[in-house]
Amino acid sequence: MRLPLATLGVLALLALLYLLPIIAPGELYALHILTLALCYAVPAIGLNLLFGYTGLVSLGHMGFAGVGAYTAALLMKHGLAGFVPSLVAGALVAGAVGLLVGLPCLRLRSHFFIVVTLAIGVILNTLFNNLDWLTGGAEGLPGIPRPQPLDLGLMVIDFRRPQGFFWLALTVFAAIFLLQHLIVRSDFGRSLAAIRQDETVAAARGVDVFAHKLAIFTISAAMAGVGGALKVTFLRAAAPLSFELMESINLVMIVILGGAGYLLGPLIGAILFIALPEALRVANELRLVVFGAILVLLALYAPRGLCGLAAALIHRLTTIGSLHARHP
Amino acid sequence: MPAILEIAGVRKAFAGIVALDDVALTIAQPGIYGLIGPNGAGKTTLFDVICGRQLADSGTIRLAGERIEALRVHRRARLGISRTFQECRVLLEETCLDNVLFATQDKRLGAELVQTATRSTRARDAILAEARRLLALVNLDAYANAPAAALSYGQRRLLEIVSVLATRPRILLLDEPASGVNPTLLVTLRDFLRRLYDERQIVFLVVEHNMEFIMSLASHIVVMHQGRVLAQGAPAEVQASPQVIEAYLG
Repeated sequence: MRLPLATLGVLALLALLYLLPIIAPGELYALHILTLALCYAVPAIGLNLLFGYTGLVSLGHMGFAGVGAYTAALLMKHGLAGFVPSLVAGALVAGAVGLLVGLPCLRLRSHFFIVVTLAIGVILNTLFNNLDWLTGGAEGLPGIPRPQPLDLGLMVIDFRRPQGFFWLALTVFAAIFLLQHLIVRSDFGRSLAAIRQDETVAAARGVDVFAHKLAIFTISAAMAGVGGALKVTFLRAAAPLSFELMESINLVMIVILGGAGYLLGPLIGAILFIALPEALRVANELRLVVFGAILVLLALYAPRGLCGLAAALIHRLTTIGSLHARHP
Repeated sequence: MPAILEIAGVRKAFAGIVALDDVALTIAQPGIYGLIGPNGAGKTTLFDVICGRQLADSGTIRLAGERIEALRVHRRARLGISRTFQECRVLLEETCLDNVLFATQDKRLGAELVQTATRSTRARDAILAEARRLLALVNLDAYANAPAAALSYGQRRLLEIVSVLATRPRILLLDEPASGVNPTLLVTLRDFLRRLYDERQIVFLVVEHNMEFIMSLASHIVVMHQGRVLAQGAPAEVQASPQVIEAYLG
């Protein structure tokens, strides 16, 4: 009874998001910041699979997002490919870089691995900043075109308008979310959870721990690449600033805030971290102070993030309910 | 027919200290084998070398005739060498049922990725029924949906043992199954192990310090001393051997 209920809840939430531009047609600014949040939620799903489900921390994930972003930006800017092929190409190239990084690094013990991912993020960002002939250096790659309008017969969706791009971002998010769901609920996902809980037990039961880590690291980097490609199409420009170290740290904060190891964690985290401060008009400098304080509170009172807090509340309510049922 | 397990000339040293010194051991028939010896005799190191957690410096290990001494832990586990741990390790966040189900699944990465894509639920009902039956064998069926962390230490040991059996091993290595178990429950534990053995008829190789427990459980005892196999035979024979008595007392 519990699982279908959760699935229904997620579907209802998605439906609500899809209807948002129609329910509130005037709220263009809200749509704009929600779209930005979705651009973060996609790489956050990649990080959630890595960190929340497998127990590997990556502090350089926006570097992989950048690889996907620049790949897609170059293809679209020069008219070599449309949006969807560019997105796929971005995922493939980011995944390939993830695979190359993972091969030597995933044999390291966890704390060394974290430091190496930090370095990889910085190295990738330095490359974005300095390979002027390819990435446009500090100026980046401006003038990325939005996808061509989509004619659905009943209506034409224009991706240059906020509503149209919001639907596009939501669809990309939904696809990555579905992929996350498939992985987590599969035998592969069970092996990843076993690795997080006890690598020795996982290996003793027949799991090739290194190969599994490499596979999920590659998938995770590819998902980050999709998010990066989406973000630069939305902003119509790729710039190194979008993929610097601080952005990688923000991504980790999004996953922790939303709840690592929960399917909805990345979305909740991204909306709260990106959209809420925008909506409340919090100054950028103050944002870090506020979120620093929130993180301390979370670490003290809700170590499993907001989704963990919600799950604990629901559990408490249902157990109280069943207690009442037994002792009326 | 080759022996189920054949260990020859295995040596393992740690920073100059010889833990295993030319160990030879052949297990030809299924049965419950007790591996005993004073502290530091090399029992746990031999376990680690058999399951692949440590690699031997030299020597050969054959499983049904095939050499396995160079394979890593997960490869040996897939070939049928499974172990439990002295400190008892289960997946604490998973339910008892999920612990057993995880053990039964095909863990080759390729097979898992295909399963993710196809959502195949290969004979799920049969697997589920088998997992529940295994839990019932050790009276854990009432805890099927409880997280392993909620179990008592003794129950976790039983969960670990049935989880490992669910991988369908050819050799089950049990590292001190009686340690940390309430003495009043030892008889129950022994009965469970007998019942599981009677059902599977594979090799159970059991390291154990509790003499009363192992002598009444095993049909065959292997005694190690100073990194070598000192004696082997039926429990009564071994207990009467002057060499063994000297090793324990001397």
